[in-house]
Amino acid sequence: MPMFDRLSPELAELGDALHSAVAADLARTRSAAGAGLAVGGARPRSRSRLRAMARSATRTRRRIAVTVAVLVVAVPGAAVAANALLSPSQVAGGLAQGTLALLGTHPTCTTVQAGVEYHCVLQSAPSNQGGPAANQWLNTVEPSVGADKHVNGGCRAQNQAGTDWECYLGQAAVTQKIIGQGFLGAYSPSPGVG
Amino acid sequence: MNDLFTDHTDASLLAASERDPNAFAELYGRYAERIHVYFRRRTGDDSAALDLTAETFAQAWLVRGRFADRAGGSAAPWLFGIARNALLMSIRRGSIERRASQRLGIRERLDREPATVAPDDTWADGADELLEALPPSQRDAVRLRVLEELEYEQIAGALGTSSAAARVRVHRGLSALRAHLSVTKETL
Repeated sequence: MPMFDRLSPELAELGDALHSAVAADLARTRSAAGAGLAVGGARPRSRSRLRAMARSATRTRRRIAVTVAVLVVAVPGAAVAANALLSPSQVAGGLAQGTLALLGTHPTCTTVQAGVEYHCVLQSAPSNQGGPAANQWLNTVEPSVGADKHVNGGCRAQNQAGTDWECYLGQAAVTQKIIGQGFLGAYSPSPGVG
Repeated sequence: MNDLFTDHTDASLLAASERDPNAFAELYGRYAERIHVYFRRRTGDDSAALDLTAETFAQAWLVRGRFADRAGGSAAPWLFGIARNALLMSIRRGSIERRASQRLGIRERLDREPATVAPDDTWADGADELLEALPPSQRDAVRLRVLEELEYEQIAGALGTSSAAARVRVHRGLSALRAHLSVTKETL
């Protein structure tokens, strides 16, 4: 157990509780991931959307480790091809599916660079369900999710109202530091929060 | 605290926390006091500040996969962004935001009662809104200097400018804030 010597007793107690909760969460994640591999990749039932997204990133890395030998040549080409096949309307759908606050906002996207970058405008402002407060969206980043319910890129808000977004697919979203490498391709069964 | 992580950047702590909970504990140790002060100044209530601090770190843990290093390895802007959202969400909902800390099971691990104070609109008063109104270059510089307590050379590195220019941005930003904050419960 870590020592929080420099903190007040209340904050030290909170630190201990947080450490314990985080350790338990990690243990659950490892256990669930192990169980998933043992039954041939069956995914454990998630208890929350947020935790599911974090866990799925871990699971994805494990799956990648297992299958990297097969995919090392095929994936880059396949990924680029898959991204290039996405229409602007599919990108728009992916933006709305990635984040709870963007559901029902009816984005419309135009191609900046096919398969890489798209400019998207929302018909209505995002809701306040788990996102930033109204008019505080500028530079907020959100993942985009493909029809296969895997993270396929990410978008960054271009204005405070959250109605104007620049979206990047695949590795471009990682390069733009919108999502981490481990999050790209993560299973995301439902829109995220936060 | 675990000496193993003392030399790590915040960003590498978050990465290491995928394997070792002590890494996240180190991050907590670095920022808990400042986050708690942030909430105490706004709520005027120790217990509410503690609950919101718990919520901030619980949310940080749950969304750690979405952390993007945009401040030279520091997690301060990201953490304070989460803190601010937790505060505003509490005000909007009329009750202290605790969903993430409940999900993680922090509440049952604490030997204290939750705060009973109701969030108040005045909690959002203060420098935050004025800070948001500053030009982005000044706002980022003030944040890094005041909230993150970085040296000017570090601020310059994070903002991609010179140390002298960083100092000027902080000075101008603080001057603009002082001009507006004639009466405030917080002194920057």
